[in-house]
Amino acid sequence: MAKVSVLNVAVLENPSPFHSPFRFEISFECSEALADDLEWKIIYVGSAESEEFDQILDSVLVGPVPAGRHMFVFQTDAVGVTVVLITCTYHGQEFIRVGYYVNNEYLNPELRENPPMKPDFSQLQRNILASNPRVTRFHINWDNNMDRLEAIETQDPSLGCGLPLNCTPIKGLGLPGCIPGLLPENSMDCI
Amino acid sequence: MKLLKPTWVNHNGKPIFSVDIHPDGTKFATGGQGQDSGKVVIWNMSPVLQEDDEKDENIPKMLCQMDNHLACVNCVRWSNSGMYLASGGDDKLIMVWKRATYIGPSTVFGSSGKLANVEQWRCVSILRNHSGDVMDVAWSPHDAWLASCSVDNTVVIWNAVKFPEILATLRGHSGLVKGLTWDPVGKYIASQADDRSLKVWRTLDWQLETSITKPFDECGGTTHVLRLSWSPDGHYLVSAHAMNNSGPTAQIIEREGWKTNMDFVGHRKAVTVVKFNPKIFKKKQKNGSSAKPSCPYCCCAVGSKDRSLSVWLTCLKRPLVVIHELFDKSIMDISWTLNGLGILVCSMDGSVAFLDFSQDELGDPLSEEEKSRIHQSTYGKSLAIMTEAQLSTAVIENPEMLKYQRRQQQQQLDQKSAATREMGSATSVAGVVNGESLEDIRKNLLKKQVETRTADGRRRITPLCIAQLDTGSPQLLPLDSSTPNSFGASKPCTEPVVAASARPAGDSVNKDSMNATSTPAALSPSVLTTPSKIEPMKAFDSRFTERSKATPGAPALTSMTPTAVERLKEQNLVKELRPRDLLESSSDSDEKVPLAKASSLSKRKLELEVETVEKKKKGRPRKDSRLMPVSLSVQSPAALTAEKEAMCLSAPALALKLPIPSPQRAFTLQVSSDPSMYIEVENEVTVVGGVKLSRLKCNREGKEWETVLTSRILTAAGSCDVVCVACEKRMLSVFSTCGRRLLSPILLPSPISTLHCTGSYVMALTAAATLSVWDVHRQVVVVKEESLHSILAGSDMTVSQILLTQHGIPVMNLSDGKAYCFNPSLSTWNLVSDKQDSLAQCADFRSSLPSQDAMLCSGPLAIIQGRTSNSGRQAARLFSVPHVVQQETTLAYLENQVAAALTLQSSHEYRHWLLVYARYLVNEGFEYRLREICKDLLGPVHYSTGSQWESTVVGLRKRELLKELLPVIGQNLRFQRLFTECQEQLDILRDK
Repeated sequence: MAKVSVLNVAVLENPSPFHSPFRFEISFECSEALADDLEWKIIYVGSAESEEFDQILDSVLVGPVPAGRHMFVFQTDAVGVTVVLITCTYHGQEFIRVGYYVNNEYLNPELRENPPMKPDFSQLQRNILASNPRVTRFHINWDNNMDRLEAIETQDPSLGCGLPLNCTPIKGLGLPGCIPGLLPENSMDCI
Repeated sequence: MKLLKPTWVNHNGKPIFSVDIHPDGTKFATGGQGQDSGKVVIWNMSPVLQEDDEKDENIPKMLCQMDNHLACVNCVRWSNSGMYLASGGDDKLIMVWKRATYIGPSTVFGSSGKLANVEQWRCVSILRNHSGDVMDVAWSPHDAWLASCSVDNTVVIWNAVKFPEILATLRGHSGLVKGLTWDPVGKYIASQADDRSLKVWRTLDWQLETSITKPFDECGGTTHVLRLSWSPDGHYLVSAHAMNNSGPTAQIIEREGWKTNMDFVGHRKAVTVVKFNPKIFKKKQKNGSSAKPSCPYCCCAVGSKDRSLSVWLTCLKRPLVVIHELFDKSIMDISWTLNGLGILVCSMDGSVAFLDFSQDELGDPLSEEEKSRIHQSTYGKSLAIMTEAQLSTAVIENPEMLKYQRRQQQQQLDQKSAATREMGSATSVAGVVNGESLEDIRKNLLKKQVETRTADGRRRITPLCIAQLDTGSPQLLPLDSSTPNSFGASKPCTEPVVAASARPAGDSVNKDSMNATSTPAALSPSVLTTPSKIEPMKAFDSRFTERSKATPGAPALTSMTPTAVERLKEQNLVKELRPRDLLESSSDSDEKVPLAKASSLSKRKLELEVETVEKKKKGRPRKDSRLMPVSLSVQSPAALTAEKEAMCLSAPALALKLPIPSPQRAFTLQVSSDPSMYIEVENEVTVVGGVKLSRLKCNREGKEWETVLTSRILTAAGSCDVVCVACEKRMLSVFSTCGRRLLSPILLPSPISTLHCTGSYVMALTAAATLSVWDVHRQVVVVKEESLHSILAGSDMTVSQILLTQHGIPVMNLSDGKAYCFNPSLSTWNLVSDKQDSLAQCADFRSSLPSQDAMLCSGPLAIIQGRTSNSGRQAARLFSVPHVVQQETTLAYLENQVAAALTLQSSHEYRHWLLVYARYLVNEGFEYRLREICKDLLGPVHYSTGSQWESTVVGLRKRELLKELLPVIGQNLRFQRLFTECQEQLDILRDK
């Protein structure tokens, strides 16, 4: 039985200007005090086909977590993504994955009709399709028995949990220079 | 009869293995396969019952879903009280759910659409024991036990009062156990397994009563479940999958002699589930017809692998109705509504069907009163007997009483409405933390949020706690229909059926055809809506040839034979003895050491040392420092002479001789763990000018004091108020908690054997078997050199436990299970407890206990008698003893308890047992004794000098006690005069 269940993820300040940070207000419930912290990540999905192109945009530890209902705001400066994942892991095992589609479009109808060749970020509005999150839950081992945990990991790598995502975390994505690189061309149809 | 297939009840196409309707009829649970997990869903009943509610979008259909089971859920069952839901699944677990009221609705985040969990059901217990899939769970009729069966071939009985305690594991099946049913009067539990047997187990001793195999010999193949059922009158047990002449049947097993002469035949494939209607029916009285009393009968639904459902009345030879091809796959479970007119059926194909009968079709259901009368006449006493039932005909004579009764009802209503408000405003209640609304919190969350950096530089957020988890406070969910549980059901639960049948015929036809999309065309709605067209299939021929003989009223009296009583006693004796034996096994070794031999003395000393060291090491000191297992043996005078110390005995004529602690070099004694306090003794440590001194050290919560004594310390004891040590040369010294000497050394009449402290009381038991108790603070003697002769004489008994109560009353627990306390005012030894007391085993006063929690009334009496929860044993014994005998034993037992609590001066326990006793007297209607109690508690209303009446008893004000008793007395209208009398006199006293 999962010790932590996510009750809600509210997308704050949505829609918002393109450069403003992402803010997710996450409420979750814990049925039994956790010995260790939860790790929350915001992941940029580079490709729908493979996890290989996933990039961790930001990660944060959350704790201590006693039994009860809790909430916190996960804020990150990462911008310019089209699909964003929020995941939570405990002892390195992912037990929930929440995915959102992100829509970037110009507020100005004229710009929307005739987008400039070079994107005008100041005019772009980011809209996270908050009403339609894709939630996937995984069963993990919540007990503190690390030996058993490792055994499970080595036995069945196909479980998809406990496997570190195969990517390098990128920090400081708020730098303006990074933005164009982060916008994959195939999903820029609105610009 | 109407048939409905609510298509919205589904697990997204996944199989539904179990269905159960809540006892209040407002909701039902389904269990089965979910998205890569097991799934339990709680649904609202009113959209099933009423079309308007089904259409109304404001009325929720799904109330809660739980995905916590890791694998498929095979069974969901509500407790009879409706408080709990138990679910068992392929993940080998049983989860017990309870409604949480502290938080408002929440959504299952991310589930498609806006499916909110309208109700919050929280897992309060996870029961782990089975090593294989759990196939069925069942609550006992009085909710004291929960049984579960599994493919690990066992049935486990859980103590539902104290999860996860296991009361018994029933072993004997050699195949997967796939169904369970309790006898409605709680005497048996039956299980059916793949090993082609049905076994009946006694709840008395959890042993096998009988194993029935013959009807199952031919059974081949397996079914997913074998849900058997016991008839509500208790006379018949009907099995799932049995065979007769190579045809699948449901075997009828008679309670009397476990005869298997009848069966339900007609299904083409194995029977998977049988479920009796909870009601007993009698023939509908037609207007004008002679009021000839007809025999009551039962109603039973049978579901099969052949996808059809048959409903039988035990008074008919043929089924009342057969519905073929109700589902695409096997029927998995059936549940009746409590009113007995509705039935929910679920199938492996993932759908659910609802059948709605009218009273014309089934008959008039007997009231609970009548049902319990049947139970009472047949079995002596039913678990379901209610006291209210006896009162319905009484006339209220007195306006005060009427007022009182009304007030009580009003209070109950208020409580309910309070609960309603609480639930209604749950969101707002939950949304306020420390007076701040959730909105305010959310606004400032980011600013207020505590964010730190871990050592490796990572961000760490401390989440804001917005709600505590409730720790299962006993918030009773009201069972009445007039509670907020019935979402949108504007009418009480008994009415929807009427309302449904009042619907225009065409309307219901439409609805049926609309909803029964998956119903094959063969089932035309018109056939289903008109009862006259229901034609029993010819193949369905009940072999109820012996029906007339076996009426529910038949005297299948399970009278107790004397041998059975004996057997019962023996079994209990064995049970009782075991833990005691264990307790003593350690002291036995000590006992056997002959004290006369010096060599063995040293050995004993070693053992003692080891013991104390171990105690310290484990850090798990005896919780109750007042309890000390000691073994004192009685020696013959011959052995006495061998004892050196005996020479200084002033009275060598004494026949009793208790062991003396031998001098040790050093020892440590833990006095209490909270506050942590221990005493250290080092003998002959300091040598000052050739003088050997002994050091006494005391550590209390880190604060230490020490002092020195001139002679060797033999034994020490301490309490929160005093520390005392007994030294050689029969000296006893007493110190305050700070180490100040309180008394000059006391010279004991003979060497010390055991020393004990509680509060400011010091108890010394000497080798000559005399007992003294002093109150050190008041400096008075409580018990003066009292001999243990009277309680130890005659046999080679030993003292197994010594207890000194807060009031300085010494209690000796003897090895024969008896416990005596010394009553200083009477100067007598009083028997306060006897483990082999047959009264305790026959007494049944569960109905008189205030609540489950209060059963754990703590105090010296509870310590002496042990906390072994005998509720299970008591309940088990309930039906084996004639009711009158049981009343007498219960009264005697309760009186013993009250007297014992009084003797021990344990006011808390006295009050507890007095209330239990009074409640029992009220419930059972014993006026004389009740009157006497009231009279004593009330005392003389008009003051007279000659009165010997004491206004208090063990520190409690008697008239306050009487005030507490009054509401209890008021519960039984029979005592309204007594109630009025007492109340008036109390009023007079108050006005004075």
